Amino acid sequence: MADFKEISPNASATAKLTNWFENRLPTAFDMYKVHMSEYYAPKNFNFWYVFGSLAMLVLVIQIVTGIFLVMHYKPDAALAFGSVEYIMRDVPWGWLIRYMHSTGASAFFVVVYLHMFRGLLYGSYRKPRELVWIFGCAIFLCLMGEAFMGYLLPWGQMSYWGAQVIVNLFTAVPFVGPDLALLIRGDYVVGDATLNRFFSFHVIAVPLVLLGLVVAHLMALHDVGSNNPDGIEIKATKDDKGIPLDGIPFHPYYSVHDIFAVCVFLMVFSAVIFFAPEFGGYFLEYNNFIPADPLKTPLHIAPVWYFTPYYSMLRAITSEMVLVLIACVVGAAGFSVIKFKLPAILKAVIVGGAVVVVAMMLSIDAKFWGVVAMGGAVVILFFLPWLDKCPVKSIRYRPSWHKYLYGVFVIIFVILAYLGTQPPTPVGERLSQAGTLFYFGFFLLMPWWSRIGKAKPVPTRVNFTAH
Amino acid sequence: MKKILITLLMALGFIAGAHANSGGIAWDKAPDRTNDLAALQNGAKLFANYCLNCHSAAFMRFNRLKDIGLTEQQIKDNLLFTNAKVGDTMKAAIDPKQAKDWFGANPPDLTVIARSRSAQGQGTGADYLYTYLRTYFVDDTKPTGWDNLAFPSVGMPHALWELQGKRVPVYETVTEHGHEAHVFKGWEQLTPGTMTAEQYDQAVGDLVSYMQWMSEPVKNTRIRVGFGVMVFLLFMTFIAWRLNAAYWKDVK
Amino acid sequence: MSASLVDIQPSDPSKRTWLIASSCAGAVGVGAVAVPFISSFEPSERAKAAGAAVEVDISGIKPGEKLTVEWRGKPVWILRRTPEQLATLPKNDAELADPQSKRKPDEFTPVYARNEARSIKPEYFVAVGICTHLGCSPSDKFQSGPQPSLPNDWQGGFFCPCHGSTFDFAGRVFKNKPAPDNLEVPPHMYLSDSKLLIGEDKKA
Repeated sequence: MADFKEISPNASATAKLTNWFENRLPTAFDMYKVHMSEYYAPKNFNFWYVFGSLAMLVLVIQIVTGIFLVMHYKPDAALAFGSVEYIMRDVPWGWLIRYMHSTGASAFFVVVYLHMFRGLLYGSYRKPRELVWIFGCAIFLCLMGEAFMGYLLPWGQMSYWGAQVIVNLFTAVPFVGPDLALLIRGDYVVGDATLNRFFSFHVIAVPLVLLGLVVAHLMALHDVGSNNPDGIEIKATKDDKGIPLDGIPFHPYYSVHDIFAVCVFLMVFSAVIFFAPEFGGYFLEYNNFIPADPLKTPLHIAPVWYFTPYYSMLRAITSEMVLVLIACVVGAAGFSVIKFKLPAILKAVIVGGAVVVVAMMLSIDAKFWGVVAMGGAVVILFFLPWLDKCPVKSIRYRPSWHKYLYGVFVIIFVILAYLGTQPPTPVGERLSQAGTLFYFGFFLLMPWWSRIGKAKPVPTRVNFTAH
Repeated sequence: MKKILITLLMALGFIAGAHANSGGIAWDKAPDRTNDLAALQNGAKLFANYCLNCHSAAFMRFNRLKDIGLTEQQIKDNLLFTNAKVGDTMKAAIDPKQAKDWFGANPPDLTVIARSRSAQGQGTGADYLYTYLRTYFVDDTKPTGWDNLAFPSVGMPHALWELQGKRVPVYETVTEHGHEAHVFKGWEQLTPGTMTAEQYDQAVGDLVSYMQWMSEPVKNTRIRVGFGVMVFLLFMTFIAWRLNAAYWKDVK
Repeated sequence: MSASLVDIQPSDPSKRTWLIASSCAGAVGVGAVAVPFISSFEPSERAKAAGAAVEVDISGIKPGEKLTVEWRGKPVWILRRTPEQLATLPKNDAELADPQSKRKPDEFTPVYARNEARSIKPEYFVAVGICTHLGCSPSDKFQSGPQPSLPNDWQGGFFCPCHGSTFDFAGRVFKNKPAPDNLEVPPHMYLSDSKLLIGEDKKA
């Protein structure tokens, strides 16, 4: 026991107990220092920076309420719907636990979308934080899977038919599609087999993956340090002790700050749970109060609100739209071959590749390309760190017109979301198509538009007013 | 920039408006008597007498009716018809297979029907049920002899016909937007029921309020607890705010 | 900004005040949130309904016959004792561990069963048919006289096959047997001469 820290026998009981642990688990104490009391975060965080901690809180809420729900829920097609009503009526306080879980699911997406938007605003995905962003996108993908599988569990009409439609999307994959869908379902249609495996994934498999990814996400962040609304690297200006001049220890400053944010969040969260748990049919869909009926599809199926932007994009890719996309592919290939100075071999590859892609687009159903678009819309986020070529990270110092572009992006995303909740109409279809083109254009053309305009001078120290 | 935004918003408006009622008339607003114990008890009685013959309310326990002011003895005397015990759930009197034979479909369970029938832009499930139970009319061309304005070609007969009597809708031909339209104008009573129109509406209001209560019996408790939680959280947020300020005053 | 802010007790009074206030409010909040979750462990309405009292029609039981009904998942015996069977009860007293049913009366013998026959009506013996040792259900041994595993002066009663405990016609356990207590008499009441309600002894 050579490395043990000695403590005076006159020390208090608490000090001795702390010392006992510190000698046997020094890592815990080091972790506390590295991640809390000596993690120097920029002092100019604004309210956009609370959503990360709130996301972690919602994850904990979902896990705890989930544990208690599983005590009473029955993952059996004949018993599932009844078991949820059992929880709502017969289990003491079961209704509260259920509403917390259903509201928590929607709250998770609200918080995560806002958290991602902060990243967009301040360039948090830029070097050296690309990996933080990539882990985050992986979390987003897992979260969508987790929510999708969780939604099947109440075994209502919306649960059943939503799952049926989305799993059937996989049949669009060329050659392996129908077998793939069969493998996912475990049966010819969504049924008891599907319910049981989705239950297993939703309760244990995906949550474990999510927890692992969250740990990786935070470790990657803490290793390089947090970004801030001004987009400047605070580690560039340190004092003589090696502490960033614009940094403050996370604990206690951001712990108390986050406690306040948590209280405000809990007020909104509780207001929904206690006064409007259905939230106009967006958080608890009305059709889901009808037990699943494999023989009768409801008139109007829509995914839950947080999937609707991507659902709009899926529906927008009709055979007509595929022709538009072919034109885009041809145009992009032609433009890059003509405009850029590239070695001949690379030009040949681009042209060849374009020919192959166009051939595929002409021969494979629009249904498949809809799936590609829907998936691509999420996958493209992974590439953001390499698409953004603006010399400046934060929106504060970018050319002013970038602000309007981001505003339009948000509006279009919201419009796509709304359109996804509604039944398809001719006008809606055109709008979704335009919205989808804008969404992909925003990202794919970013290497070009992010270079346009004159950035404002970036300060060396953060903007902070004492309060 | 502004023009694009305005066009987009207008397009949204058109879509919302174009989303008309798919089959069935617009719904009347149901009276909310979920805080009126007498109305709820009357509704429970009507439900047990007229609905439980064919429909079940499989997630609703009889003894939960204590929440609307009935004693166990009253429940046993007035609402339990079969060999059910007061702690049992409300099963239908009919055998589901027989029901399917007679009506073509198994009468759906009604426990949460007031929640499932809500529709964005049209009204709550209670509004639908209130309208539905008051828009039945005689139609000999239909297998049950009845049809319904809120649910055209419904497979359910008019369970409350003895109370409302028999009637038919009266239509008027109206020229609208340059073409003729068949517009519903009112009712023609063929044979009277045991209740007047006002009494019937009142009874249906009670029944629908009962069904609304039954779809979420814990609603009033939920709201009450909610008030307490909000008050506590307001207090807690204030403390957290001051705690935050106490630390951040040191940050320059 | 100095890094040495690991002090749990801040020297600044305003911080201390608000820390104490938040800790108290937070503790109250956490306690309040814990209540619904812990309460959800309690028996649900379904469990309570399933555990509700059972009405039994005893008019068909012949003397010497035993009827078994289920209450809260447990077998409950209703034995219509013959006068001969009742007569054996005082003869056993010396061999019994607890002839007066004085041990843990609140658990095993309700007030109206604190008599020699351990019942409301001597003719009908109502008991939970579960051995007080480890939970097996004893078998009927109504025949008197020597039998395998039973003493030579066996008057009649019940024998538990798992570990050999024996009980008399009032469910009282014999001395030196693994079972420590007499058979449990459940709460019960007569609704009429032919109707017995098991599970309740006060009219709701």
